[in-house]
Amino acid sequence: MIGVNLDRSGNRDFVGGRVVDPGLGLDAIRTIVVRRGKVVALLEGAPAAIDAECERIDCAGMVLCPGFIDPHVHLREPGDLHKETVASGLAAAAAGGFTAVAAMPNTRPPIDTPDRVAALVREAKAAGGPHCYPIGAVSVGREGLEIAALRGMAASGAVAFSDDGAATRSLKTLYNAARYTADLPQPFLSHCEDPSFADAVMHEGATSEKLGLAGSPPVAEAAIAARDILVAQATKKAWHLCHVSAAQTVEVLRWARAACIAVTAEVTPHHLQLDDERLAGFQARDRVNPPLRSAADTAALRQAVADGVITVFASDHAPHGADEKDAPFAHACVGFTGLEVAVAATFHALPQLPLAVMVANFSTNPAALLHVPGGTLAPGSPADITGLYLQRPWTVEPRDFRSKGRVTPFAGMTFAVRPALVVVGGNVIMRDGDLSASALAKPAAKAKT
Amino acid sequence: MNASRHLLDLDDADHAFIEALIARARQFKAGVPNESSRLRGRIVVGMFFEPSTRTTMSFAVAAQRLGATWLDFRAESSSLAKGESLEDTMRTIRALGADAVVVRHAEAGFPHLLARHFEGSVYNAGDGAHAHPTQGLLDAMTLAEEFGDLHGRRLVIAGDIRHSRVARSSAQAAAALGATVTLCGPPSLIPATAPGWGFAELATDLESVLPTADAVMLLRIQQERAAGDMPPPADLARSYGLTAARANALPAHAIIMHPGPVNRGLELDSALVHGARSRIERQVENGVYMRMACLERNLGAQTRTRVA
Repeated sequence: MIGVNLDRSGNRDFVGGRVVDPGLGLDAIRTIVVRRGKVVALLEGAPAAIDAECERIDCAGMVLCPGFIDPHVHLREPGDLHKETVASGLAAAAAGGFTAVAAMPNTRPPIDTPDRVAALVREAKAAGGPHCYPIGAVSVGREGLEIAALRGMAASGAVAFSDDGAATRSLKTLYNAARYTADLPQPFLSHCEDPSFADAVMHEGATSEKLGLAGSPPVAEAAIAARDILVAQATKKAWHLCHVSAAQTVEVLRWARAACIAVTAEVTPHHLQLDDERLAGFQARDRVNPPLRSAADTAALRQAVADGVITVFASDHAPHGADEKDAPFAHACVGFTGLEVAVAATFHALPQLPLAVMVANFSTNPAALLHVPGGTLAPGSPADITGLYLQRPWTVEPRDFRSKGRVTPFAGMTFAVRPALVVVGGNVIMRDGDLSASALAKPAAKAKT
Repeated sequence: MNASRHLLDLDDADHAFIEALIARARQFKAGVPNESSRLRGRIVVGMFFEPSTRTTMSFAVAAQRLGATWLDFRAESSSLAKGESLEDTMRTIRALGADAVVVRHAEAGFPHLLARHFEGSVYNAGDGAHAHPTQGLLDAMTLAEEFGDLHGRRLVIAGDIRHSRVARSSAQAAAALGATVTLCGPPSLIPATAPGWGFAELATDLESVLPTADAVMLLRIQQERAAGDMPPPADLARSYGLTAARANALPAHAIIMHPGPVNRGLELDSALVHGARSRIERQVENGVYMRMACLERNLGAQTRTRVA
């Protein structure tokens, strides 16, 4: 086969790319020398000869970054294999430029026991490709009432705890769960939406008023954000807010920052640039939680990224079947498939942001948040690399997605940035959209196990 | 919208569109020869997913007076309830020969979704808190009968504006004909910022707006609404109900409207329901003629395309 190297030794040289590593303060042409899956050297420029035994991959014109980590995806396994599987989700991650993802526990049944965490770890290993880190549920059944087996899940490989999909209902449960695990590194990831607004289907504003649809105001998010940050303060637990959508929540974060409370936050590409007017024609497809808010909210989110108040990017990859999105508002499934557009769409939303900050928010900061390997290309680090072209315009065509989910509000949009290379443990798993050098190319193998 | 084969809401309904429908409805009211041959052979299917007596009967009477066959889709025992997809249901209804469906649903936007899956005409007979376009049009007709040109006239709509599909459509229709519309209710139940919905004045004090009203429309206070959204009905009525004393503040020529059914003594004093100012029965009567005009407009000239 031409252009595909199935050598799994993890010995390769990535030659002459523009290496951007915020942790090292590096932005220069370098050659990344990888041996046995680890970075062993960053050589200046593009040396002609390094080691004739090793594959040499020309990266001229490409930006090479420490591997991108998406801290917030829904892989739908177990329970909803028609929406996504671990294998199809990881293929989507590779195609989208990610070397790792963290999978939310709101599956059916939820990932709320050590066994289910271990099962996801096994499933991901079998699929190959990007790393997949499980997130365990805070509460049994994600019902927000009883504390789940948090320490056992941590021992089985959970990198964080979250009842994502909803806020943990009981403050007492959340508080005691945080205290119970205060000595563990796993952070809590909060989905901030007050449950009493569960009937809302969109942002409360002029568009919801006009359509007569039940709306959720920013305070439904900001109030829970404030609640959970106060729990973080009280318990000294590391905390992170998922998919911030509202300007008011940014204000709460600024307050937390000033009060020196250890809380970070993420933002999605859709909340950074799409507003609630998209739903004006009853487009239930654009329904997402938290909802697309006002244009002023999107501007506040971009400012929060520029100010370093929000330091993590996440796709909130939420695949659904097409039929499940083409339904009345109250019944339309909530969320978008995101892994294959997230990188390009996020760059599109933030054209002024320095490249080093973009890379930090996609790699260094999520790695630090989840305490997982990667986030840097310093010698000794795992050779997890994301390569991008900054100027290679392409148009989003959901038919081409590796994900089973084909619904994205970015369909048909043209973006400049295109992920072109994904390297995991020194092995190339995606190159120019081609996954054929990875185990992901044979998803059928899973069915036999 | 004006070119649309559907009637989903009044977002794009302009002066000319509404005038033409009112003119035709008034012709029907005065008597049109052979009205029963206008839609002979046409099939209109009523899909009422929410209980409705007045609107269903009004549409059925309108369809039958024009010679169309009215069929009742029993939503609660339908294949949709058994899990058939909306697209499949609508294809089946079309294959049976239906030219139009008249739909009422608790969810805003449901008729819009239906219209994407149906090749015939969709009439919105009320979708959640969004729109009730034929009600808006019949209210505009009632106002036009009363006042002629609506420029310089003021319609006050009072009560729970936020959850009312009637308020949205009636306000749009009256405004399109030139009326000034004032939405009056407590701050939580009217639009957050003026102009409401892009065109309406907002008020929180009913008594202060009554002296300049040419027409005041009360809305049914929905006593069945879930808690959390709504104040106690009696508490809302205390500030926004039309009592006999408040009605005395109206100009002598002002009329009282209500889409029905009325909670007597709550949003409207019993004595006012059939009083001299009341046009509530006129609204019901006009509803039939307006729905005849709407059905004829979209179905009358249509060359029927049969599905193989």
